[in-house]
This record gives sequence, C-alpha cells and structure tokens, in this order.
Amino acid sequence: MQRRDFFKKLGTVAAVSAVMPAMSFAGGAKPVSPNKMDYNTAVNTITGGKTPKPSKKVKLKVPEIAENGAVVPVTVTVDSPMTESNYVKAIHILTGKNSNARTIDVYLTPANGKAMFSTRIKLGGTQKVTALVELSNGEFLTASQSVKVTIGGCG
Amino acid sequence: MQKRKSLIKIKPKRYKNGEIVKVSFMVMHPMHTGMAKDKKTKKIIPAKYINSVKFIYNGKEITSMKVWESLSVNPVFTTYMKINGKGKLTVKYTDNTGEAHEKTKKIKPKG
Repeated sequence: MQRRDFFKKLGTVAAVSAVMPAMSFAGGAKPVSPNKMDYNTAVNTITGGKTPKPSKKVKLKVPEIAENGAVVPVTVTVDSPMTESNYVKAIHILTGKNSNARTIDVYLTPANGKAMFSTRIKLGGTQKVTALVELSNGEFLTASQSVKVTIGGCG
Repeated sequence: MQKRKSLIKIKPKRYKNGEIVKVSFMVMHPMHTGMAKDKKTKKIIPAKYINSVKFIYNGKEITSMKVWESLSVNPVFTTYMKINGKGKLTVKYTDNTGEAHEKTKKIKPKG
C-alpha cells in the first residue's frame, strides 16, 4: 500500500483499539503482568543498587493529561556529546504503577549521534513516568513526570 | 510465519555523510499484555508482544532495545543515527512467541 495509507492505518488501528478495548474487567482481581515488577525493584535491578540522581540533563516529554492510556507518547532526550568517551549507554522508561514497571530499555551507542528515544506506551492509570538514564561513566540520572490518565490503557 | 507490515522512516529524506538524522521504525503488532480479557469469549488474551528490536547499520549494531509488554499497539521506535557511508539499515525484531522478522532500508547519502 502507499506510505500515506500505511501511516493512516497505523493511527486508525490504534484509535479503534483504544475506543473498543478488549480490556475491561468487570470487578474482580486486578490483572497481573507475567513480568510483574514494582518501580523500586526495577530501579535497583537496573542500577545494581546505585542511587540515580534527578538531572536537568534528562528531558522527559509526556503529556500532563492522557485521554487514552493505551497510547501515551513518551520522548526522552539527554544532553550528551555522544562521543566514545562520553555517551548515553541506556535509556530506561519506567512507570510508577503498571504491574510491570518497565516498559522499554534502549541501549544507545555513539553511532546514534544524539541521545533521544521516543515511543508510545500503555499506562494503566494516573501515575508517574520516569526516564532512567545510564551514562558511559556509570552514572545514573533520572527525570520524572506525572501523567493523569482518564481511560486506563492496560486492560 | 506471519508477515508483518513495517516501515523505516528517515528524516530528512535527503542527507549527507556526517549528518545526524531521525530514524523511526513502525510495525503493525497487537502488543497483547497477557492481562486483558477478550470481551466476547471472556478469556484472557495470551501475551503477544515485541520483545526486542535491533538497528544494524552496515553490519554494526548501533541501537538495541529490550521491549516489555506495555508498549502501545503498532509500536513506534524513534531515535537518531549518524550517517556514515552508503549502505543499509536493517531493523531486526522478535516477539515473545518466537516470531522474528527484519526490515531493511538503503542508506544513500548525497555528498
């Protein structure tokens, strides 16, 4: 199909599946991820116990209010020269309350040129989203922002 | 194996050697968390989600990702890459049920 049609289709499918989610539980137990892990455990697993430091070098862009928790855009940008001696090794995107706090771990190299990663994630409800960044010198930096979710996206 | 529609997009479309361009990879995939119930059958839809993505430029892995189940349906992965010669960008990805695919785009710097 033509490129523009492909893009349209991508957006449409996302919208349709959001409006008619096969994802409601009529009361009863809350669903649990097969990879269940809470935020603090996720951070410790990633940093090996090191305490990450909030840093203005990490810019996290998420909407303040997400109408649809199934498709929440997240962009992380890190101020870094991305040279062999000084680059962003990894960007981890974590959530505060999803059953599995981890959403994605992105391993960059100097060949990326700039430290940035963008995607769309599901949020089960209003919660904090955190970018946890690992630098080549072993430092861990973070930036967080709360996202208000009006319709939950995990199902 | 099921074929998946996917796309690699580079912005800007015309670039030179040394330029840092935005690269996006998008793929049609249901990204089932394994926690949702099908409304009709009332049964849990088994987890089926992309779990790894790699960007390989002229044989060198420049970016790799470990993906968990809460990425949105039809996921998009966007980052930057430095143009360093003519060749190919290949995106390889797998899902948790064992599917493995790849998509390639030619890299043709102008000047």
